[in-house]
Amino acid sequence: MIKIENLYKSFGSLEVLKNISLTVRQGEVVCIIGPSGSGKSTLLRCLNGLEDITRGRIFIDGKPIDVRKNNPDVGMVFQRFNLFPHMTVLENVAFAPVKVRKLSNKEAVEQALALLEKVGLLDKKDEYPSNLSGGQQQRVAIARALAMKPRIILFDEPTSALDPELVSEVLEVMKTLAAEGMTMLVVTHEMGFAREVANRVVFMDKGEIIEEGTPHNIFEKPVQERTKAFLEKILK
Amino acid sequence: MTDRMARIVEILIDSFVPMLKAGLTFTVPLAIISFLLGLVLAFIVATIRVLNIKCLNPIVRFYVWIIRGTPLLVQLFIIFYGLPSIGITLDALTAAMIGFTLNVGAYSSETIRAAMMSVSKGQWEAAHALGLTKNQTLIYIIIPQAVKVAIPPLANSFISLVKDTSLAAVVTVRELFQTAQIITARTYEPLWLYMEAALIYLMFCTILTLVQSKMEMKFTKNLAH
Repeated sequence: MIKIENLYKSFGSLEVLKNISLTVRQGEVVCIIGPSGSGKSTLLRCLNGLEDITRGRIFIDGKPIDVRKNNPDVGMVFQRFNLFPHMTVLENVAFAPVKVRKLSNKEAVEQALALLEKVGLLDKKDEYPSNLSGGQQQRVAIARALAMKPRIILFDEPTSALDPELVSEVLEVMKTLAAEGMTMLVVTHEMGFAREVANRVVFMDKGEIIEEGTPHNIFEKPVQERTKAFLEKILK
Repeated sequence: MTDRMARIVEILIDSFVPMLKAGLTFTVPLAIISFLLGLVLAFIVATIRVLNIKCLNPIVRFYVWIIRGTPLLVQLFIIFYGLPSIGITLDALTAAMIGFTLNVGAYSSETIRAAMMSVSKGQWEAAHALGLTKNQTLIYIIIPQAVKVAIPPLANSFISLVKDTSLAAVVTVRELFQTAQIITARTYEPLWLYMEAALIYLMFCTILTLVQSKMEMKFTKNLAH
């Protein structure tokens, strides 16, 4: 349902994405791994209009996307959560559906309460984000993204900014989403998650896709030298 | 000596009410109205610059450049003494108000613009990812957060403005400072009378500073971190 064809992206003279072609099918969980600077986050950001592209085409459900327009069918969860600090947890989750999907206040709140319960934070609904731990904030961020009923959610290193003991609560929520059939594209360093949950793993380095395959193939039987070198460093 | 001191005390007592009255009738209202109007102007200018509205951006940048690059005193003179020669005659109070409003508009627009820019880029990105338009993001997400950042410097500007209204005296507005001048001309005790005027300014500004502290405490409760 997402098709990326020969995508090139440069920042000025710096080429960060080279000839990226990738397909993500509905219900798939695709994890993108790779060293810093490999372009993983940039690739994600090209998919929802946060970056424009230099060359190439992106199709969502067969239709080419307008790269500067935002698409509420594509949700995103950020490394630094980016919750709205001046709104309560409940307001954060209920806000966009009212303004963008034109839900009534009542419907949006009902939906928000259900989503907060799903991520285990119903009791925090009237708190402000600054009173929550990182893991809790990220779970609220996931609920906020889900409130827009997206067709696919992009996760940009969702647990990288969290203290280690808070990582698993977020990964649990993501596993539940995956099991429910959400299409997910996840940039992550959590190899355990990728192994367990991903349908496919994509290894990127220096702006290119070096190798992709099932978690088993990538982690147990990597073919490319660069993949092997990276995994060796990470999995030590 | 005591005769002179008795006379000074009498002058100070007699002049206090007229000066306070001038302060309350002109200084404070002039400052408040000019500031509020100026804030509206500043807000519009800041929004144009932050959203980078192509056709209006050069105009507002020119306006900010001119006002920030010329003395307030000269601006007031141009408006009150200069405009009549091209057919625009304004009364003193209106001229003063226009001058102060334009001044506040330019300086505060930079404060507001900086406050809007200080809201982290991640807020724009999260709003974008949720499908909000740029205008919705600005109104509901950015500005509420920018307001909290902008209040201390804006309160500062307002307190400064209260003192700058003394310049209205040179375009013949009978505010606090001008009143002090008039009484001095009559009684020849400049030191005491101008100190008394200073004291009244100090009173106003101290009260305003206390109000500012209260407002800051109220507004900064829920900033991130």
